[in-house]
Amino acid sequence: MNEDEDKALATHEQELRRGTVVFASLVACRRPQYGYSLLTTLTEAGIATEANTLYPLLRRLERQGLLSAEWNTEQARPRKYYTLTDSGAEVAAALHSHWFELNSSITKLWKDGTP
Amino acid sequence: MSALTEIYVDNVTRHLPEDSRPDIAAEITATIDDMVDARLSEDAAASPDHTAAVEREVLEELGDPAALSREYSNSPQHLIGPNSYPLYIWALRWVLPIVGLLTVLTNVVTTIALSPEAQIGEIIGKSVGNTVIALLTTFAAITIIIALGDHGLDGGAAAAMRRRQPGTWTVDDLDRRDSRGRQIRAEAGLGLVFIITLATIPFIPTSLFYVGHLNNGETFINPDLGVGWLVGYWAVLALMAAVEIIKFTTASAKPAVALIGGIVDVAMAVFLTIALLTQPVLHPELTNTGNADFQQIITVIAIWFITVWDQVSTWRIHRRNRR
Repeated sequence: MNEDEDKALATHEQELRRGTVVFASLVACRRPQYGYSLLTTLTEAGIATEANTLYPLLRRLERQGLLSAEWNTEQARPRKYYTLTDSGAEVAAALHSHWFELNSSITKLWKDGTP
Repeated sequence: MSALTEIYVDNVTRHLPEDSRPDIAAEITATIDDMVDARLSEDAAASPDHTAAVEREVLEELGDPAALSREYSNSPQHLIGPNSYPLYIWALRWVLPIVGLLTVLTNVVTTIALSPEAQIGEIIGKSVGNTVIALLTTFAAITIIIALGDHGLDGGAAAAMRRRQPGTWTVDDLDRRDSRGRQIRAEAGLGLVFIITLATIPFIPTSLFYVGHLNNGETFINPDLGVGWLVGYWAVLALMAAVEIIKFTTASAKPAVALIGGIVDVAMAVFLTIALLTQPVLHPELTNTGNADFQQIITVIAIWFITVWDQVSTWRIHRRNRR
């Protein structure tokens, strides 16, 4: 790939990841997660995420009622834990089924287009 | 928390709504500490210089605090966005000329109809004046309506995850001025202006406020009020000014200073209450009605309402800042 193709690929990968991070955060928050633990969980799962987009996103998901947040001050460093709400679980389940639908659609398209 | 992290967090939170600042500041601080700790744990030789370098690295990875702040506020920082700009220009191009034309015609017709002997200069003057007002009002109305619609159209969480230009910001770009200190100074400066205004009230003539005819341009305050009351009034104002000067010079609002400020405010309210309930404080010719006592009582209620409100808001701000 030349430099322009690399740039184009990077842009499209970034676009693909953006939508994925919301879904992945909801899935990961089925267990209580604080910001950095979620960042590590997502990175270890192969979903590269940056802290500067993840933290504001968590607050937005909290405002939308998809996550609930609670400060834990019992540890040496106070941390804010995010957990999936019932409404968040419904959204995550819906996104999960859309994910499979998209996957099968893309797979079919890929097969149909393969010479 | 290191001084650098503190400055970074201050840069992020200074443009956010005041009630969300402590929570976001605590979360970002914990994140930075977690990220620094994680990187240092991978490295056995953690010298202070190395720790500082890692902290810089983490802050630069988090990126421009202004951009992070925009992500948190999740609100567009423009009045008319690209989605609504074509509609806005279209509305200005079509609506403004129509409004201008209609206003000119209406003014010409009504001026001639109402004053058959109207001079051409009068017609032009009235038409131009009213048309300018109509055009400005229309422009403001179009701008506000489309701006409100534009902001209502803003996308949700996924749409708001806009990325900034990577690698363009470094720690050296941080604004190291203390925003909280500046805010305290500005508030103290305004407080001083307010106190000086209050101090001049006994000298302000009623003619300045177009009510001079009520008492021949004398002051708002009863001229027969004892000098002792005025001296007491200025003495309490001097104490209030001293508190503001301390806040201004130290650029901090320590709990002890805030407490003294609160006590002085309550002392002023008590002083004014006693003064108002024991004699006519306002000029008798301004309150020369059967409701003079009622007016004084209303003034006392207003003074206590403002005092209590001020104390509650000061206490809430301190409680929030303590978290």
